[in-house]
Amino acid sequence: MNKAVKSLILLAVLVLLAALPFYAGAYPLSLANTIMIFMVLALSWDMLLRSGQLSFGIAGFFGVGGYAAVLSQVFGGINPLLTILLAALTAGLMALILGLVVLQLRGLYFAIVTLALAEIFRVIVTNIPDLTGGHEGTILKSAIFAGHTYKTYWLVLAIAVGGIVASEVFQRSRLYFALTSIRNDELVAKSSGINVFKYLVIAFSITAAIQGLVGGAYAQIYGFVSPEGSFSVNFTLLPLAMAVFGGMSRTWGPVVGAVLLGLASEILKLYIPYGHLIVYGVIIVAAILFLPEGVVGLISKHVLRRS
Amino acid sequence: MRGAEKKRSGDLMTVQWLNKRRLALAALYLGLAVILAWWRPYVLVEGVQRSCLYAMIALPMALILGVLGIINLAHGEFMMLGAYLAYWFNVRAGLDPLLAALPLLLVFFILGLATYVSTIKHVLAAEELIQLLLTFGLGLVISQMVNLIWTSQPRKVQLDYVSASAAVGGFSFGTFEFIYVGAAVLVLIGLLLFMKYTRTGQAATAVGQNPRGAALVGIDVDRTYLMVFSISVALVGAMGALFMTRHSIFPAVGGSFTLKSFCLVAMAGMGNLSGILWCSLILGLAENLVLSIRGYSGWADIIFFALIGLVIIIRSRQRQST
Repeated sequence: MNKAVKSLILLAVLVLLAALPFYAGAYPLSLANTIMIFMVLALSWDMLLRSGQLSFGIAGFFGVGGYAAVLSQVFGGINPLLTILLAALTAGLMALILGLVVLQLRGLYFAIVTLALAEIFRVIVTNIPDLTGGHEGTILKSAIFAGHTYKTYWLVLAIAVGGIVASEVFQRSRLYFALTSIRNDELVAKSSGINVFKYLVIAFSITAAIQGLVGGAYAQIYGFVSPEGSFSVNFTLLPLAMAVFGGMSRTWGPVVGAVLLGLASEILKLYIPYGHLIVYGVIIVAAILFLPEGVVGLISKHVLRRS
Repeated sequence: MRGAEKKRSGDLMTVQWLNKRRLALAALYLGLAVILAWWRPYVLVEGVQRSCLYAMIALPMALILGVLGIINLAHGEFMMLGAYLAYWFNVRAGLDPLLAALPLLLVFFILGLATYVSTIKHVLAAEELIQLLLTFGLGLVISQMVNLIWTSQPRKVQLDYVSASAAVGGFSFGTFEFIYVGAAVLVLIGLLLFMKYTRTGQAATAVGQNPRGAALVGIDVDRTYLMVFSISVALVGAMGALFMTRHSIFPAVGGSFTLKSFCLVAMAGMGNLSGILWCSLILGLAENLVLSIRGYSGWADIIFFALIGLVIIIRSRQRQST
């Protein structure tokens, strides 16, 4: 496929998606919102993975972003759209501070510290009830755009497009090449003058900021935060399963994975109302064992072989 | 000449320094214990019991990390599954959970074999992050399976012997929980003897140090991995039975034990089994101390996190200075 055709198709898809509210009902719209929210989380997780660091902290930064957005509006009276940016900033800053400590030892230590993050943030938030409302959480007077579904959808679409663009830009950046060389061989990277620690901290902060941004938007859309809801393990599990299933270390893997699993989970919820998460566990295990390149990797391999 | 002399005296110094350090550490522990016993005796007793609960669960994780070089993120979930099976045996057959630990050893040994052959074996050569993802997925499968079968409602069995207590002066405390102290010490001694005196244990030590070298001298590395993984899973599964005698169980109960076990393994350092017992005392006593402060007990759950952070800072300093 040449470049012009490719960009034409992308443009057409974008127009179709942007016009979705005019020809689709409320249910497809809210489903699209959910899928795109998880898509950006999956993308941000994958971006950090490309540097060889595995983070289980998605739900943690997602929740921090949610709380930052809601609390800054409640206490600071800030414009809802600005609070979403503030959410990104807060989560990014948290990751920066954490990264400065944790990324000194990588791999195992980093993965496990991030595995504990959502729980740690949840404990902290629950234990300062004066600020956060404790167990009950905090409710906004009204959702963003006063609950206007079209505008909400376009906001989420904008974030999703932004996420995909960010991932593609990242893939072509100096940062990416530095990180890839770190993943391939840290010693070689170091001896060619790459400041491994600095680049990893930057990548960790950026991806956490994206997760915080999504969390802030999510909290603004639904108008509330609570310790159980905002730090729910689902916000780590689903993006992870989507990225692994779609194919890790490429932009289109998490995107395709999010669409496929997002649609599948709607059907699963009907058949297994409780414990449908087991399917995500099986998908993660099976994809790693039998489909290490993911769905996108499989397809591109076959397409390449044919042409 | 002078260099050699200097080196030897340096060696002597390190030996003395090590001994001194150990003595100082022992004195520190003893001093803290005396202060605690006088100030808040229940913190000391319950803290030691809690520490040993953590230690007995962390020991099998340390074994897997020491030999296979991977962290099993499904570790706590295996413990949780063991607790549920003990619960099931008790409800269905009236089997005492403490007795159920014995058949569970066998059940989980077989489960360990199956898990290793079907999954772990295939990622041993893969990147570390793939191994972590895989065991994370396994943990998710186990906890959600339990969720499907038994729902997320907490379960507990009523056993009359668990409320046994004793009194010293005016202070009374539960004695049943000392079973965790016994179990932790027993598992530690058992594992140390296993590593030292059995053929599999000796092979495991060699494989843990250098798998290529071990293979060259004719050790079946794959079989050693299989045995060590299965033994660890058997132990942690049986520990679930001990755990559920005193605690209520729910599908997510294992998760924090995975994290706390890793905290202990990280504090003790790779392959250091007996260190886990000492490190667990720090974690358990600190947690119980915070729990005993009125109005702040909710913060006890983040102590292990602070400890991991501390370990990371100290380790990276050490690495930079060498």
